[in-house]
Amino acid sequence: MKVTVISIPVRDQQHALDFYTKKLGFIKKLDIPINETDRWLTLVSPEDQDGVQLVLEPAPLHFEPSRVYQDALKEAGFPYTQFDVENVQEEYDRLLGLDVEFSVAPTDMGTVKIAVFDDTCGNNIQLVEYL
Amino acid sequence: MSIYQQHLENYKAKKFANQGQLDTIMAVKYHIDDHFQEELNLDVLSTEGFVSKFHMLRLFKKYHGQTPSQYLTGKRLEKAKELLKTGASVTETCYAVGFKSLGSFSALFKRRNNISPKEFQKRATLKK
Repeated sequence: MKVTVISIPVRDQQHALDFYTKKLGFIKKLDIPINETDRWLTLVSPEDQDGVQLVLEPAPLHFEPSRVYQDALKEAGFPYTQFDVENVQEEYDRLLGLDVEFSVAPTDMGTVKIAVFDDTCGNNIQLVEYL
Repeated sequence: MSIYQQHLENYKAKKFANQGQLDTIMAVKYHIDDHFQEELNLDVLSTEGFVSKFHMLRLFKKYHGQTPSQYLTGKRLEKAKELLKTGASVTETCYAVGFKSLGSFSALFKRRNNISPKEFQKRATLKK
């Protein structure tokens, strides 16, 4: 078995695509229409374009438990997904400049430094730098 | 303060209460980062961190989730990829990152990446 995709729940796929590509810097890899409203929409990191794909998954629109779970995590401030970066402080400064809102500013956590931001799609995302 | 922020504070207070241990184990990690191309073993690393080797091994696993040896291997393979992308030969890369045997390096690289170093380099070059 091989890990090829991980999903992130979003309420609006086009909005999510814009945020994840224009602000976070991911690259669109696959865009396949599923039906009138949904797409199989995946992203990859610029430095690992053959690596794991991130699926912008519209489950909260169609499956109530998914929406409830996403809302509960968001409300409690929990990030369900995290991305590695070289330098959390630099990424924090860059994203603040793009009006991204953080619930946790860069914080040392022993062997790592973290920060948490709102992806505007219903999720908290954690950035991690290995110190 | 959100539930997650409380969780972070509790975790940090519990997990990283011993600053001395953390400093020691980070010093060992940084030593691996700076000297991965050299011959490193537990004796050298424990000397670096001024702790007994078995204590260092336990601490390293506790804080980094893997043994120093596993971390070192990962670091060498990560650096090998960087070198291969710049056009260095497989043999040059193997020795430059600290492996002692070309056969072992190639086999390990393939096992971890499902692709040989040569093929990895070919694909990386094609993308440029």
